[in-house]
Amino acid sequence: MTDTPKDRLTGFIARHGTIVMFLLIVLVFGTQAPNFLGPDNLANIIKQASFIGIAAIGMVFVLLTAGIDLSVGSVMYLGPLIAGFAMRDFGVGVAGGLLVAVAAGAIMGAINAFLIVYLRIIPFIVTLSTLFFFRGFGAWLTSSRQFDFPDEIRAFGLSSVMGIPTPILFFVAIAAIAHVVLSRTTFGRQVYAIGNDPAAAEKAGISTWRVKAGVYIICSTLAALSGFILIAQIGRLDTGFGEGREFDVIAAAVLGGASLFGGIGTAFSAVIGATMIQAVKTGLVFTGVSLYLQPMLQGLIIFVAVFLDSFRASQLEMLQRRFIRPL
Amino acid sequence: MRHTKSMIAAGAIAVAGAAATLPGTASAASICFAFQDLETEFWVAGHTAITRTLEEAGHTVIERNANEDANRQLEQVRDCIAQGVDGVIIIPQDGESAVTIVNEAQDNDVPIAVFNRPPSDLSNGIIVVADNASIASQAVDFLAQEAIANRQGDEKLTPLIIVGDLGDPNAIGRKDGFYEAINRYPDDFNTPIEVASEWDAATALANLEAAVTANPDIDLLFTSSDFLFPTIRSVFEPRGMWKQRGEDGHVIMGGLDGDATACQLLKEGYIDATGVQDLYFEAEAALNAILSAIEAGEAQPNEVIEDPGFALTSANLAEREMDMWGCVLLSEGFLDN
Repeated sequence: MTDTPKDRLTGFIARHGTIVMFLLIVLVFGTQAPNFLGPDNLANIIKQASFIGIAAIGMVFVLLTAGIDLSVGSVMYLGPLIAGFAMRDFGVGVAGGLLVAVAAGAIMGAINAFLIVYLRIIPFIVTLSTLFFFRGFGAWLTSSRQFDFPDEIRAFGLSSVMGIPTPILFFVAIAAIAHVVLSRTTFGRQVYAIGNDPAAAEKAGISTWRVKAGVYIICSTLAALSGFILIAQIGRLDTGFGEGREFDVIAAAVLGGASLFGGIGTAFSAVIGATMIQAVKTGLVFTGVSLYLQPMLQGLIIFVAVFLDSFRASQLEMLQRRFIRPL
Repeated sequence: MRHTKSMIAAGAIAVAGAAATLPGTASAASICFAFQDLETEFWVAGHTAITRTLEEAGHTVIERNANEDANRQLEQVRDCIAQGVDGVIIIPQDGESAVTIVNEAQDNDVPIAVFNRPPSDLSNGIIVVADNASIASQAVDFLAQEAIANRQGDEKLTPLIIVGDLGDPNAIGRKDGFYEAINRYPDDFNTPIEVASEWDAATALANLEAAVTANPDIDLLFTSSDFLFPTIRSVFEPRGMWKQRGEDGHVIMGGLDGDATACQLLKEGYIDATGVQDLYFEAEAALNAILSAIEAGEAQPNEVIEDPGFALTSANLAEREMDMWGCVLLSEGFLDN
């Protein structure tokens, strides 16, 4: 049986629906505001998407195991805060501060992992609790006051390499590493295996507790890193920083194609999801849409994207169905 | 915390001003102080002024931090009422939840004062509120005149406003004040560009960067809160738009709150004006009103106390600097992290 051009087009859209949707959004805003498609703005979209995107890559690891991490917003706040104290009170440089933030994130992830894997408390409850605990700890450290970082951090946050802003470089590097880990390593295959069928994965000899602990540590580590990279651009950390961002992070991962039920998703899905959300937000600013309408339109566009994605998935499933005899 | 020293000094200034005028209650009162969070310099300074003044006057302060959760704040106030407090002072999360909390206190015959962030219904409770629209209008009017005076050519100028959370009456008042001032010069300004911040630095950063990329020729910027100046700087600096007065490319800029960062930037010449809420007047007024009600046995006092505020500008900086609470904090080393 030969495919008609229409079938091939349907198949292509079904397989690459998320990217098609993303390009469609960019084109629609581009026709409304031509400088939306300018290189400066496209770079700006990716730069601003890096904050949620890096954290969303970590979230994909967790979602792949059918888990959830609600504490990422608080980790985004507490990780850089601890790094700030290290920089201010112990004279640690920017690179050292970044390592401290990452280490603090890993420790927070290890706390989540211990409670989820060792004490076997469900991830939703654990991470909801640590959401409050981590933020509360940060608020206690600062007495709820803003924290000003040493000046050199802004030089780092606003720097670029060969014209490419540092946040974009981090975003690309993290996405590439995560892609390799998920698609080319034993650990990555085990993550998918656990998400698809945890019982079967265990029977196959996979150390599920070790893999699950690993994904929560990765998720918090990347959340802390994303917080540090954003704060490095501003130089000041307010108590409300990161609040509610867990929803943006989960939305970015899911919008990119990751499943909340585990087993489906890639590092690339988080990148595309975060960039798509940021493109919508930026597009609404470019087109001068009323501030009252912006949240509604954002919600609507994201809903349509997810709806079309689920439609795409069902179409794809239908296309891949094998029949005993031709219809 | 290095901040502590300067905050104690700031609190002491408030105590010196307010303690002398507090009503002399026969016995020490128990006051529940429920605040939504302390995320900006303004709230920190207001919190310090209120708690220290009450403690210095011998009253017991029960503090409750709602961490920006309106429902939690309602529960905290209910808990305070159950403990039998004599009065409640709240900094609410938003205008709607404030109405519910005020009604809850008044239904239980406990006098309540709302500090700075007004309920959407001003008819119940002691409401101490800055006239945000008027303060914003004063500051923006100065900015508009500066922009017109410095204009090169005949083209209309492009103003930009960073708007706060649309659920916060203060943010709406500031937006209204901005438009009131800009609309006084219809021949001089284009339609303003609006940038949403939701009172969040990361949101403001992303949206401002998009707005400036779309409209690189901004002539005047007004931020609805001074706490966003570091964010504005991180967008403007790489584009060569973060310049001092007199330098080529200086964007006429101002805000509202009157915090220490704004004071420093005004002195350095990076910004041109800021609308000032008289924090110490507001704290003193709230305390006086609630303690008077307790002393008089008045369970449902209803009063609106308005802080007219003023604009501290590059023109009146020398005379009025120390009228701004942020400049007082700055002189005490608040920003010496």
